[in-house]
Parts: sequence; structure tokens; C-alpha cells
Amino acid sequence: MSAVAESTGHAGRGVERPGAGTAKRLSMRNLNKSFGQVHVVKDLSLDVAPGEFLVLLGPSGCGKTTALRMIAGLEQADSGTIHLGDTDVTRMLPKYRDVAMVFQSYALYPHKTVAENIGFPLKVRGVDKAERARAVREAAAQVHMDGLLDRYPRQLSGGQRQRVALARAIVRRPSAFLMDEPLSNLDAKLRGFMRAELKHMQHELGVTTVYVTHDQIEAMTLAHRVAIMNHGVLQQLGRPREVYDNPVNMFVAGFLGSPPMNFASGRLSGGVFEAPGVRLGVRSQGSGPAVLGFRPEDAEIVASGAGTFNARVYAAELTGDVTLVTVVLGDDNLAVKMPKEFEADFDSDVGVRLNLARCFLFDANSGARIDGTIEGAASA
Amino acid sequence: MAPPQRPTGIARLFEPPEIGRSAIGTRIVVYTLLILWSVFVLFPIYWVVITSFKTPNAVNQGPFYIPWVDFTPSLHAWEELFVFDYEDTLKAYLNSIIIASCATVLCVAVGSMAAYALARIQYRPKLGVILLFVVCIALAFVAMAVAGVDWWLALAVGVALFFFLARALGRHFRRTLGNGDILFWIISQRILAPIVVIVPIYLMFQQVNLLDTHIALIIAYSVTNLPIVVWLMYDFFSSIPLDLEESAQLDGASRIRTFWEIVLPLSRPGLAATTLLVMILSWNEYLLALFLSTSNAQTMPILVAAMNAGERGILWWSMSVVIIVMIIPVVLLALVLQRFISKGVLLGAVKG
Ligand SMILES: Nc1ncnc2c1ncn2[C@@H]1O[C@H](COP(=O)(O)OP(=O)(O)O)[C@@H](O)[C@H]1O
Ligand SMILES: [Mg+2]
Repeated sequence: MSAVAESTGHAGRGVERPGAGTAKRLSMRNLNKSFGQVHVVKDLSLDVAPGEFLVLLGPSGCGKTTALRMIAGLEQADSGTIHLGDTDVTRMLPKYRDVAMVFQSYALYPHKTVAENIGFPLKVRGVDKAERARAVREAAAQVHMDGLLDRYPRQLSGGQRQRVALARAIVRRPSAFLMDEPLSNLDAKLRGFMRAELKHMQHELGVTTVYVTHDQIEAMTLAHRVAIMNHGVLQQLGRPREVYDNPVNMFVAGFLGSPPMNFASGRLSGGVFEAPGVRLGVRSQGSGPAVLGFRPEDAEIVASGAGTFNARVYAAELTGDVTLVTVVLGDDNLAVKMPKEFEADFDSDVGVRLNLARCFLFDANSGARIDGTIEGAASA
Repeated sequence: MAPPQRPTGIARLFEPPEIGRSAIGTRIVVYTLLILWSVFVLFPIYWVVITSFKTPNAVNQGPFYIPWVDFTPSLHAWEELFVFDYEDTLKAYLNSIIIASCATVLCVAVGSMAAYALARIQYRPKLGVILLFVVCIALAFVAMAVAGVDWWLALAVGVALFFFLARALGRHFRRTLGNGDILFWIISQRILAPIVVIVPIYLMFQQVNLLDTHIALIIAYSVTNLPIVVWLMYDFFSSIPLDLEESAQLDGASRIRTFWEIVLPLSRPGLAATTLLVMILSWNEYLLALFLSTSNAQTMPILVAAMNAGERGILWWSMSVVIIVMIIPVVLLALVLQRFISKGVLLGAVKG
């Protein structure tokens, strides 16, 4: 429980920063959107606290971008409302909403210099030249682009373009930031670096932020809270640690973590979960097809017969800090994280010992969590 | 597996010797074609230029090819046109400039706005409503022709009838068309050869008393070239990433401002190319000018054609002079516009 308390403290810092005075609350109520016959966003309700960094996470095509575009006003909601602060913006033109968006493609104006790109939002607002130049320099400095103000977008690298897009968003101090996979076009190293920059910048500015990504690492590292979507439906909303440690269903459990949670399929009946080679006593009345879930770090490889169940080693990969051991149980492949010194032969028989307090049971049909403590190995 | 065999025989000539160099045979073929093409294009221009400096005698006793070598250049034809026929030439020249540039500006402005709308807005016109419009206008024409109603009255009643019926019946129609259909309809206007519609067009302008005016030709040229502008610019606008416009909107720009400050600068190459094309088409147009103008609005192509209709036979020398002065503005325009007809304006807009 100390883990939850700690993450509360963290989110609290983000929300109650003194700089966050101008930040506004963003509330969505029962948003729906269909394209023709396809219902893309279903009854989405979300509250983003002033100054909060909310990450909308989900697989490709689940409706994240559509949700973001509705907040921006680029797409009209079929039903539901969006409030920014006390204003109902549901049907307001994008330009009056006072939100800034960073597009996945950056969407820099190719015929304008970096300075003109960053200054464009101010120019259309009629800010005078001197004031504009000052604000542009300040925003550019914030993203470390102050030396390149006279360049054109085509003369910049991907990472630099990304920074210009960010600067253009922060230059006018909007009530909310919207970001659509802003890091997805960068290479892995730059992405890691920009992630830290983004997090720091959002903290400095204290602006309410909705950030869309399909990358769970980005979500875990950046978010005050994560909203996980699938097929247009909000699955779970909570602090990263909370959703990681306490997933409400198989989808969330399987989407977070790298590698994600392991699933071993079996049956639940009469207080016993049974899978090939596995028998676990469960304090639960449920029965029917069920799935046992555990994270790779919540298990260890032990001598055959000494663990919760026996399995066969399929492969062992050294990833640097850990060795990832894949074992086969029935039809399922299960990953186990072991110290980097660990070695195992192909096809050898080993035992897998689970940290039963950190294991979950899911209904195999609906994917929902089955409440019930797993008590330990049950005798036949 | 072994790599493919090197070719033998004649095919060897067309095999590049190494990466980045073209084969001897390829080069021979390419340069031969290029030279033939250049001769084909350049020789007539050369011929026109030297002919304009020939006297009637030099033309009739010819052919002579090289000035100062087989004939003595003279300014006879230039004098004749610019000193003696000064007024006619200048008038036609001015007419051409006024008509072609007005038509081009009008056509490109209207056409690119239409193209932009088609590229960015989804239209769903109802087939029934379109048919209704056609029927109403047809009725108006029948009223005009059979009952002798004034054209403006007939049209006004026809349009009013259409609006009334469309409001009354509109929601019963189901079939809708899309932007693709509209685009095809617009380009289909160019499928007809102008000669097919020239008589109706003539009658139309006669009805509204615009024959032999600049307005008539400006309208006619704008309308006939509109499909080309719409078609070309539609392609161009479609290639501009939508993200840019959405981003501008979020940055606070109005629709007009976005078009003016983001879309137009980015479509400059397309606009330049289209403008040039429309300008050339309007500048050189002959058939419509022949029918719609007699003296007041006569354009250069008509003047050129007139050179071979005089009682003195074909005046090759004068014709050449007129052709040269006719070519000059278009060449100048092309030189000015070609700076804009460059690729790569969209570079750096999206992604890395
Ligand atoms: N303008 C549109 N017209 C039709 N379908 C669309 C449109 N935009 C998105 N979609 C569909 O909606 C679904 C969700 O899209 P999107 O919100 O972009 O997903 P995500 O950003 O989560 O990958 C996809 O199946 C996509 O094909
Ligand atoms: Mg998306």
C-alpha cells in the first residue's frame, strides 16, 4: 500500500503546483463519435485536473486521436459535452478554445522560418512585433532551439522539428496542451531524451495536458494518470503504478509492462484454479474458464519440482540488466525476469515459483478480474 | 544462385558500365531524340525570326536560310506593321493583353477557390435536386424560345421555380453524389470540342448584346479554362497535408487567413504553372475569338490569321513580325513564373 501512497504524493505535486494557477480543468462527459457505421469513441468520460498530465493510452485504431481531435474541435462529437474550465467548448470553433496541439506529424509550416512558425499563433492574435520576438525567443530557449530561429523546417532534423512544434504550442500559454504521439517519429534514443524534456517542461509550465500514445513506457513515465482505451471504450483510469499493479481486466494487464503480463489459461471451479500442471487454491465462488495472470518480475525460475508449477525452457535472452526466460506451459508462453547472471539450457525442465500475492485471475470470456485471493498450491 | 548473365551483342551497348553511369547506347538514343526534338521546336522559331527581316522579294525568291549570307535583312516588315499599320496592331495587342490577363486572373481565382473547396469539403448534392435544376432551366429556355419571354424574366422564374421545388421536394430524394462526381462533371466540360458549342455560345452572347466586347471573350475564356484550373489545382491542394491547416486553425487563424497565409504560399508552384498554362491558352485562342469578335475586341491570333487573307496573298513577313511580338509576353511570363515552378515547397512540413 505504500506504493499507492507514494504515487498519490507525486500526482499531488503535479496538481497543486503554484505555477498551475492559470491551468484549467478539462472535463469530458459521455463523448461519442462515429464515422459512418463505425463507433469510434464510446461514452468517454474523463476529468483532467488543472495542471495534470493525463496520458491516453491504447492500441492503434482504438480512437485516441479521435478523442483528442474532439477536444481540439477538429472533430465534432456526436453526443456528450466537453468543458474547459467553466466554459462549454463542445461546439466552439477550434480557434476560440485556447488549446494548443502538437501533431504527430509536427505540422510545421514549411514556408516559414522557425521563428515565424513559433510566432504564428501570436501573429494571428495581433501581438506586436517586439513582444512577439521576445516571446518567440523565450519559447525557443525553453526547447533549446534559440540558435536556429532563421532556419526553415526542411533544414532541421526530426528532433529539432519536434522541438519547434513544442515551442509553437507553448508560446501562447494555452489553457490545455494536446499532444498526439509527439515522439513516435523519433528514434529510440532521442525519444527517451525528449520524454524527460517533455515531462520537465510540462512540470515547469503547469499546463493541463492530454497526451496520446500507444507506447506504454511513455505512458508510465510521463503520466500523472493514465487512461487506457480499447475499441473506443475507456478501460481503466488511474495513476501509472495503480493501473500497473491493479489492472481491472486482461486487456489492461496485457497492455502494460514490457514484456506484458503472462497469461496461463485454465479453469476455475470449486475454489480451485486448474491449468496443465498447475493447481491453485482460490478463495472464490466463481467457476468457468479462467486465466491466471502474473508479471514477469513476480516469478522466478527454480529447480524442477520446487516451484508453483513445472515448465519447459523455450529460450533465455540477456537484455542487459535482466535475463528474460521464456518457458512453455501447455499452449502458453510465459516470460520470467531473472537476474542477468541466470543461465538455462534450451528445453530443460524447471520450476516456476510465483509470488502468489501478486497474481491475478481473469474471466477467460469477458476478460474481467475475478476477485479472490490465491491461497497456494492445492493438493489433488 | 548465380547472378544474371551479362548481355551479349547489341544489348551490351545498353548495359550501364557501372553504377551511376549510363550506357553508351542509351546516351546515343537519348541525345539523338533530344536533338531531333530541339530542331523540331527551335527551327520554326528561327524561321519566323529571319522571315520577319526579309523583304517580300527575299521571301518569294527563297528559301534563304542565313541572314547576311544568302539574303540581306531589312526592317521592311517591322516598319510596315509598326509605322503604317500601327493602330491596328497596337489595338489587337492591347486587346489580347487585356482579355488574356483578365480571363487568366478571373479563371485562376475562381477555379482555385473551387478546387480548394472540393479538396477540403465533402459535398453531398442530391441527384434529384440536380435533375430538378436542369429541368427548371430547360423550361426557362423553352419559355424563352417558344413563348418569346425575355431571357432575364424566363431565367428568374426558372431559378425561383427551382428553389421552390427543391425546398418542397428536396428531402424526398435519396441518391447523392460526391466530390468525385462533381470533379468529373467539371472536367467533362472540356471533353466537348469547342466547335460543337460555338454556335450556341455565339447566340447566347448575341442575346445579351455582348458580341465583339472584351467582356464576352473574358467570360468565354474563363469558363472554357476553368475545368483545367480546377483539375490541376485540386490535385495540388489535395497534396497539402491537412495537418497544416488544422494546426493553423488551432493556432487561432480564421479559414480565410489559413487559406491566405498557409495554403496559398504552399500552392505557389501549382498556381504559377496553372496561371502560365491558362495564360497561354487564352493568349493563343482562335476559334472563340473568331466568332465572338469582329473589330473592337479582335485579338492577336485573329490578326495573324488575317495576314493570309489579304488581296496581296499571304504576307509571310508581316505575319512573322506579328508572331514574334505575340510570343514575347508569354516568354517573359514563363521566365517570371518559372522561379515559382519548383518542387520541394512542402519539404519539412511533416515528419522527419
Ligand atoms: N475521418 C475518419 N473517417 C473514417 N474513419 C476514421 C476517421 N478517422 C478515424 N477513423 C477510424 O476511427 C478509428 C480510430 O481512429 P483513431 O482515433 O485515429 O485511432 P488511434 O489514434 O487510437 O490510432 C480507426 O478505425 C479509424 O480507421
Ligand atoms: Mg492516432
